Amino acid sequence: MSDQENQASRFARDIAANAEKMFKATQLFANTRDEDVAIGTTPKHLVMRRDKVELFHYEPMAEATARTPVLLAYGLIGRYTMADLQPDRSLVRSLLSKGLDLWLIDWGQPGRTERWLTIDDYVDDYIDAAVDRIAEETGHDRITLLGICEGGVFTTCYAALHPEKVKNLVITITPIDFHADVKDKAAHHGFLNIWTRSLGPEDVDKLVDTYGVLPGEFMSSVFSMMTPMRSLTKYNVDLIDVVDDEAKFMNFLRMEKWLADRPHHPGEAAKQWLKDLYQENRLVDGSFELSGRRVDLKSITAPVLNVFALDDHIIPPDCSRALGAKIGSTDYTEIPLPGGHVGLFVSSKSQGKLSQSIADWLVARDGTIGSEV
Amino acid sequence: MSEKDKSAAADSESGLEWAKLWQTMAESSKGMLQAWSGSMAPFMLARLSEKPAGFGDGNELSAAIERMAQGPRLADFWDIDRKMALAFAAWIEMRQRLASYNAVAAAPWTEASKRFFETMSAATAGGTPHPDWREAFAKWSEISNEELIRNQRTDGFLQAQKALLQAGLQLRSRQDDVAEAASAMFGLPSRKDFDDVTRQLTELRREVRALTRQVRDHRIEGAR
Repeated sequence: MSDQENQASRFARDIAANAEKMFKATQLFANTRDEDVAIGTTPKHLVMRRDKVELFHYEPMAEATARTPVLLAYGLIGRYTMADLQPDRSLVRSLLSKGLDLWLIDWGQPGRTERWLTIDDYVDDYIDAAVDRIAEETGHDRITLLGICEGGVFTTCYAALHPEKVKNLVITITPIDFHADVKDKAAHHGFLNIWTRSLGPEDVDKLVDTYGVLPGEFMSSVFSMMTPMRSLTKYNVDLIDVVDDEAKFMNFLRMEKWLADRPHHPGEAAKQWLKDLYQENRLVDGSFELSGRRVDLKSITAPVLNVFALDDHIIPPDCSRALGAKIGSTDYTEIPLPGGHVGLFVSSKSQGKLSQSIADWLVARDGTIGSEV
Repeated sequence: MSEKDKSAAADSESGLEWAKLWQTMAESSKGMLQAWSGSMAPFMLARLSEKPAGFGDGNELSAAIERMAQGPRLADFWDIDRKMALAFAAWIEMRQRLASYNAVAAAPWTEASKRFFETMSAATAGGTPHPDWREAFAKWSEISNEELIRNQRTDGFLQAQKALLQAGLQLRSRQDDVAEAASAMFGLPSRKDFDDVTRQLTELRREVRALTRQVRDHRIEGAR
């Protein structure tokens, strides 16, 4: 058989095999119900509701290893379920199994009703109320804060404005210097920074004023653009790779469920996020104000752990690294981990590394055995 | 037909007209959203059928409608038609911006194709067998990704995208103006009304919570 015939024969075999797999994928989709795709399932109970914001307390899973309660705060772009995607890929579950007392602030599903909420409200009202409630419930006068992405900015601001209430600050994949992307040479890093700066402040105003929010679907489309080929292939070529493995197929669906659950970002808070921080970089230059007070990062005196992902295309590592030089605390630790923005939390490779880093750091400072209260 | 029946029939006719109007607006909104959110994949196909140069006439048409609709306002006449005309002009403008964006967004595919065929030719030179489809696709994906990302960072792309966003927002904003007029006609609260209420609610809530904190802090101070 000639080379050409061999190629033709191989091509026909591949086509047939892929057609069969796509048929199988269709059947899998047809036989799977949305309720079968569960995310955010780690047991927790509601402690407080304030408007649409809810404070939960996770059920303990192991003997306590750190004294102080830890409040987990995700951002307003996407939902906390990324940190609890499935039992074997769950930062939440992993931290609980390491003996941390974990609480969660869930922003819910903001809509046009939340149009006028500002970052001031999220930091000085919702987080403050949650911290007070945890203090009341546990008898601690200071709480450990664990912020993720935009939630990391909120907790950083809180630690600067209310240092007396913060025992430790842990931030993950958090932007601090929003213009540090220019230092990053990786071509696929930092498109969000460039894109935001390509707009004028009046464009941001018009976007928010027109929709009343920063629409979740809009942000999804911006994120899709950042990984263009992945966005084009995930429902076809990539699907072929997972269709023979039910576990992989379910992982894919859980990830899709998280991606689809992207609430609108409250309008006025989005203006602050995009204009004050992404465009004007006010947090790092010390001119960002909340509730009439300047957010001075030097006021952060609690021990700080800053974890970031080395291949984070959304928050380039240098944007996170900037915190170290700006805070007042002398106890500052940086942990760069391999992986991307989302992969750090959900990939099989990074499982355990993130939670172990956080737990070890906390126990060293706040352990139930051998450390000061 | 009684006067009451005639009036009801007129209302029903007016309702049908508005229903058609809503349908048109919903369709155009959907079109814009699809155009924006599906911003990459469709261009490979769309660029074959789109003719950006053909939209030159559209620009003149939208400019003429703008001039007409931005004329002096009359108290009792023409207002709803003016709003409709402005929404239509914004739609034409948005289509033109979309065509320009399509042209810019499609550009990297040519370079990606060229690089891919060069890479494949080099790989199979000297009688080396062709790679299987996975290997070939992985290479195509890698090259395309590089070219698409490179393109996204160019001023041309960013400006085209900004112009599309601005045009899309203008269209949405003018559709909202029509919707406001419709709401007023039927005595329904509008989005602006809703925003006013939520603003007052948010501000009121802030005041109450600030007072609650003050009272709490006074109590704590008093107890010390």
